[in-house]
Amino acid sequence: MIAARATPRLQVPQGWPAPRYDFAGNPVTAAGFALGRRLFYDPILSRDGNIACGNCHQQFAAFAHLDHRVSHGIGGVNGKRNTPGLFNLAWQPDLMWDGSVHHLEMQPVAPMSNPVEMGGSLALAVDKLRRDARYPELFAQAFGSPGVDSQRLLRALAQFTGTLVSADSRYDRYVQGREAFTPQERTGLDLFRQHCASCHREPLFSDFSYRNNGLDAAPRDAGRAVISGRVQDQGRFRVPSLRNVALTAPYMHDGRYETLEQVLDHYAAGIQPSPTLDPLLANGIPLTAEQRDALLAFLDTLSDENFIHDRRFAETHD
Amino acid sequence: MKRKMNLAARRLAAAWLLLLAGCDHGAAQGALPLRIEISHVVGDAPLQLGDSYKTATGDAWSAERLRYYLSNFRLRRADGSWFVNPQSADSSRGYFLVDEADAASKQFQIGPLPAGTYSGIEFLVGVDPARNGAGAQTGTLDPARGMFWTWNTGYIFFQFEGHSPQSTDAEHALTYHIGGGTSAPARSVFLQFQAPVEITAENSAELHLHVDLARLFDGAHVLHPATQPTAMDPAASAEIADNSAGLFRIDHVHKLPKAGLAAAL
Repeated sequence: MIAARATPRLQVPQGWPAPRYDFAGNPVTAAGFALGRRLFYDPILSRDGNIACGNCHQQFAAFAHLDHRVSHGIGGVNGKRNTPGLFNLAWQPDLMWDGSVHHLEMQPVAPMSNPVEMGGSLALAVDKLRRDARYPELFAQAFGSPGVDSQRLLRALAQFTGTLVSADSRYDRYVQGREAFTPQERTGLDLFRQHCASCHREPLFSDFSYRNNGLDAAPRDAGRAVISGRVQDQGRFRVPSLRNVALTAPYMHDGRYETLEQVLDHYAAGIQPSPTLDPLLANGIPLTAEQRDALLAFLDTLSDENFIHDRRFAETHD
Repeated sequence: MKRKMNLAARRLAAAWLLLLAGCDHGAAQGALPLRIEISHVVGDAPLQLGDSYKTATGDAWSAERLRYYLSNFRLRRADGSWFVNPQSADSSRGYFLVDEADAASKQFQIGPLPAGTYSGIEFLVGVDPARNGAGAQTGTLDPARGMFWTWNTGYIFFQFEGHSPQSTDAEHALTYHIGGGTSAPARSVFLQFQAPVEITAENSAELHLHVDLARLFDGAHVLHPATQPTAMDPAASAEIADNSAGLFRIDHVHKLPKAGLAAAL
């Protein structure tokens, strides 16, 4: 097991593309990463001091929010979308279900200032950190000179979120020839590549496009169209990565499905036609019972147990 | 304490300017900055926050808040070449946040400029796409200043908040936030000088810009508070963005001796 005090570096796993986020402008340091982790788990970033990033992003759920359809924010109010898992964010071109955040460093500003999430503001958080007994010293250690400002806050958080790399699942070890699949898992992988991989593209298991996967005939959430302003984006959402998918229930942008079986039911027979439905799903993805079992067995191999137990990413109380 | 810090910071800035001037190959010795002063007006009268004004079509409006970014300044020389105002990737140098409520924000300097004859000035009302998507920034570009959209991340280029009895919004509010990512670039403004402006080692210039808010409503597009009391996304604010670029005019340019600039630093 890796010690909690070790500092991750962004290493590009074999066969992966170059990351989108460039750490050259924000070099990861031990003190910077530790500050980012501390901030991630500290409710000081919310208006009333009750909600931390880590409340809704739980490590055991690959930093998704287990059993919660949508995020629960300040004062117990509900958000409107399902908390996504956090991993391999350095490779993601835009963040959030609708791609509304265009840079990893800027992502925390959205939940911090959302009235139904952390309910505060970037300026308020910076002000609270400046007055805190410990943070000014931690910022100075992390960045080499005194000063607490929003850039340092956001860069420290990016040192934590950007180094959350999940690339050590059984699937990864299989691809590297270090571990064998059962015949059923092997069949599942073949089925996956045949029916799913055009959108959930390996090795990140997403092509990062925005698609309507037929949840509703009339979308209740306009999704990508709010950001792009284009009617053809009505009801489209970012294709989520399937890495750790067995750990990140519930599913879909609104968390409507609690199990992967329900998700496969939807793709088999539940696709709702609409003008923006993805053409690849027009006929659904019907599978035999045996094929379903094989696909589910394969999806289980995408769970990265080392990632969810990595103590470097866990809350510390130092 | 704060005063002392400011003084130290200003001395550092002055030293930095001198250093830059020394590094600029081809620049004349002792190149001088150009000073820009901004006045917000309605027609010919100074804008007063909270006062009521009338549009050409008879609607009434008042302004309570007016803030916007100006950046990417460059000056055209008489021979058609350009002096590009330096901007650095790791500071907000060259990005100015103008705020009607903050007198200091309405006077700033660009350059230093090589000696020469200049015929016009160009700038963006807003932030260029590269910087807009470059992650966490400091100084005038600090997103904590509130000129940053979080629902679709990027800077608010131009912010006008006020009231109009014709507005159909709650409390008759007018709320125009213009910004945008890659799909809605910042508008560019070019202003020709009425007469060529000479910059020498001894004399710079002060450019006095008038920013006429009447033209926000009676510009290239006519803006009616009744039908458009609010604009908060790039698509809805496209026409107001066009109008924002038409607010600027040169009121006058006057000579600014080196001694006057030194006093300002």
